[in-house]
Amino acid sequence: MSSLVVSIALFCIGLYAVLTRKEVIAILVGVEVMIAGALLVLVMLGSHAANGASIHAVALLILVLAATEAAVGLGLLVAAARRLSTTCVDEMTEVRG
Amino acid sequence: MSALIFWLLAICAGIGALAVVMSHDVMRLALGLGLVLLSTAGFFVLLGFGFLALAEVFVYAGGVLVLVLFAIMLVHRGEPGQPSLEVTHDPLILVGCVGVFALLLAVLRPVALQLQTSSGGSVDALGSVLLGDLLLPFELSGLLLLAALVAVVSVMGGDRR
Repeated sequence: MSSLVVSIALFCIGLYAVLTRKEVIAILVGVEVMIAGALLVLVMLGSHAANGASIHAVALLILVLAATEAAVGLGLLVAAARRLSTTCVDEMTEVRG
Repeated sequence: MSALIFWLLAICAGIGALAVVMSHDVMRLALGLGLVLLSTAGFFVLLGFGFLALAEVFVYAGGVLVLVLFAIMLVHRGEPGQPSLEVTHDPLILVGCVGVFALLLAVLRPVALQLQTSSGGSVDALGSVLLGDLLLPFELSGLLLLAALVAVVSVMGGDRR
């Protein structure tokens, strides 16, 4: 039960970081914290399941997806910083620059 | 003993997550992320998912965190020692996040209370599942990694063509 509270708290702190931060890198890090919290919920509930190996495998696949998301997001961040000379989301007002 | 380790990990994860929310310095932000990821790996070990913890440390703390640090070095070139991140706090967003916390806890608590504890299974069983029932998602995740690699190279090197 306490691990459920900790993992949901992690998710919500990440959500707060995503909603309040202005820099792209901080938003991406907030998303990573959210994913860590969500993965912890899955593993915590999965550790109670009858077939633990299936949950283990699904969590591993989600880890790969999250790493892919981080790589693409950071690539976009570097490309946006080069082209727009800013990393603040409030200043990124043009879709096609 | 495991309860003590659990609360130590919870405190570390909380400190890391608060660093992500409140830090003005971008390197402290990355270190906060590292603390959260390592604490999460510790939780996985406590829950009996040793292989997942190992993958988390290798893929996340070893891979994604290094990517974040490289992105910081490429993008944030501020004055040394000067804070480069703006921190804003909105009470309305805070109330919304507390509401999401309460909602998720109310939804997931009955599910967590009904279940019985087991472990994450052996690595043999994990391999059987990955190359058996979950073979298609496993292969698709490899394809996705390749597509992401091509996409990142295309986005980053787009000006040179």
